[in-house]
Amino acid sequence: MKSPSMRHNESSSLRVRALRGLGVALLVYTFAMTFGVPLGPGLERVDVLRSEITENGGAYELQLTGVGTHFADTASLVFVRSVGSFGQDPAILNATAIKAASNEDLKCRVRLPKYVPSQAWDVFVNNPIDGTISYANGFFAEGVQPTPKAGLKDDRAVLSRLAEADLPFHFPFQPNIMESIRNLMLHVPMWFTMFLLMGISFAQSIRVLRIGGDAERDRKAVAAVKVGLWFGVLGLLTGSLWARWTWGAWWVDDPQLNGAFVTVMVYAGYLVLRGSIQDDAMRERLSAVYNLFGFALLVVLLMVLPRFTESLHPGKGGNPAFSSYDLDSALRAAFYPAVVGWMILGTWMYAVALRIENLRARLGEAKRTAPGFAPGDAPRPNPSAAAHRAALPALLLPAQASGLEAFFVADGKMPVVAGVAVIIVAGLAVWWALHLAKLRALRRELDRLNPEEPAS
Amino acid sequence: MRQTLFLFRHLVRTDLRATHGVAGLVLFAIATLYAVYQVVRGRPEPDTWNAMAWVILLFTAFNGVSRTLEEDRPEVLAYLRTTVQPVHYMLARMLHNTAILAGLACFVLAFMGLLLGWAELEGPRLWGFVAGMVLTSIALGTTLTLLALIAARAGAGFGMTAVLGLPLILPIVLVATTLGDDLMRGVVVADTALNFAFLGVLGLGSGTLGVVLFPYLWRAS
Repeated sequence: MKSPSMRHNESSSLRVRALRGLGVALLVYTFAMTFGVPLGPGLERVDVLRSEITENGGAYELQLTGVGTHFADTASLVFVRSVGSFGQDPAILNATAIKAASNEDLKCRVRLPKYVPSQAWDVFVNNPIDGTISYANGFFAEGVQPTPKAGLKDDRAVLSRLAEADLPFHFPFQPNIMESIRNLMLHVPMWFTMFLLMGISFAQSIRVLRIGGDAERDRKAVAAVKVGLWFGVLGLLTGSLWARWTWGAWWVDDPQLNGAFVTVMVYAGYLVLRGSIQDDAMRERLSAVYNLFGFALLVVLLMVLPRFTESLHPGKGGNPAFSSYDLDSALRAAFYPAVVGWMILGTWMYAVALRIENLRARLGEAKRTAPGFAPGDAPRPNPSAAAHRAALPALLLPAQASGLEAFFVADGKMPVVAGVAVIIVAGLAVWWALHLAKLRALRRELDRLNPEEPAS
Repeated sequence: MRQTLFLFRHLVRTDLRATHGVAGLVLFAIATLYAVYQVVRGRPEPDTWNAMAWVILLFTAFNGVSRTLEEDRPEVLAYLRTTVQPVHYMLARMLHNTAILAGLACFVLAFMGLLLGWAELEGPRLWGFVAGMVLTSIALGTTLTLLALIAARAGAGFGMTAVLGLPLILPIVLVATTLGDDLMRGVVVADTALNFAFLGVLGLGSGTLGVVLFPYLWRAS
């Protein structure tokens, strides 16, 4: 009689089911928020139409292009701010001759002295309908001198005259990112989930080494890595799509991307290492040692080193988390539930993967003890591998760049969000389809081998 | 400590007795460099110079670390396991690998200077570059020693060390190349000191991890 405890794991307890229900509810909420909440008004472009440089400084005529703004319906205040070098008080200057051509079009004039804290200026517009909207580094003043000790006539008083707007619940508008800010709820939690799963694997590997010869914990470690890698690859694909239409390239040199790449490679190496060792006890031990070594180094490399490097990702150069500037309260209300929801889904998938690993182990055991077992049964060809190979050329077709560009950048880059959602949903659907089929196949085979002890 | 030093001395003595191991590494480095020299011809751009210096060091490091020693034979291992504590063995192995890599790094640099010139390096920046290479070899040596031992235990050779090791040393390479790039562009050594500190900490950290984890590898039958 084999251990009956294994079979009891198959049915999930009430608490686990409740948690999974919560996860599904959170994901429904996430998708509703991601696609339902409108985007606030914002500045899309700041152009310098004309500039006059004299000995006393420069006068610049700016054209501001807004999205969802109401420049013509109300009077707006426009001012520019320069932070200058680190630690300085920001300099603030009012713009004059503010003229609205339409609701999305505003012209104004900015006068700068010859010596300024910095040539890069943030542009702000305030009015009673749209509130305060801004474009960071929107305006680069050619022809004036940046010096660290520039004395400026400061129009700080404008800050007390700003109008408060009563906007509906919305996500903040950021130039260039635009609608694709919604990807925050889809792309970023992939990495959070992956790290949770790799953490589970790390913890199980520690116990493998401490207790020794524990096949169950080894299976837990490998199941977590397999699911985590799936999330990692989805994170890479979605990130690549997002990067193409905001940063202009499928892949860029960025500490965060290097970290993601290294992580996926390390865990792929983990699976390769496991595959190359025949002896069970040796495999448990060696892969656990590698897992611990890899994870510990990754934490240092990904959490510590990026703090000292410039990055395109938000909140870098000092702080690998979101600052209040990047993540406002509306995004928080959608983002944190999304992270929890994706994590619950990740642990659910981990449970399924673990069940498959356990069944596989039981099957191996059953085969060894089954009557008429001949070592070296030829493995059947994997049908899904052939399907993968057939699907590959379609993915590698050269993209029609101009057509793609028009498609993805339309509608404030909303198609990027849709693309990211499709990648994730399709990727997870494929995972579930493959693994549920595998689970069924394993159960059937196990039932065939010892019919008196059904697996399902 | 005495055990570590004794084992280290033993490893060095084994190398000296059968010099073909180390000589092979040196030859490999020379051959790689000469191939590069044939491609570049003359004085390469500083960027190219920097990239090649690190790539050659990397290749040499992988070769150097995944060498099979007398100690890796099962019967010798069985003897060692009854006589030596794993911590000392690991420390000796790391020390040995690091020493060889550091020596090779200096050799590679000198040879590069001979064939390809020094690009823009001179004075203290040159010595900074040498120090950076030595620190990198320490970090590489400590990281790769454990991975090479895992690969050897798995019964897979050089290829497995590369699969396991390359992703993990990528960050080390990133820091090292940034350092080299800084020095090439004329940044004063003191201004890129943070990168030196990173390399030192990485070497120390992976060394500590290796020593902590190695006993589990040692016990594996």
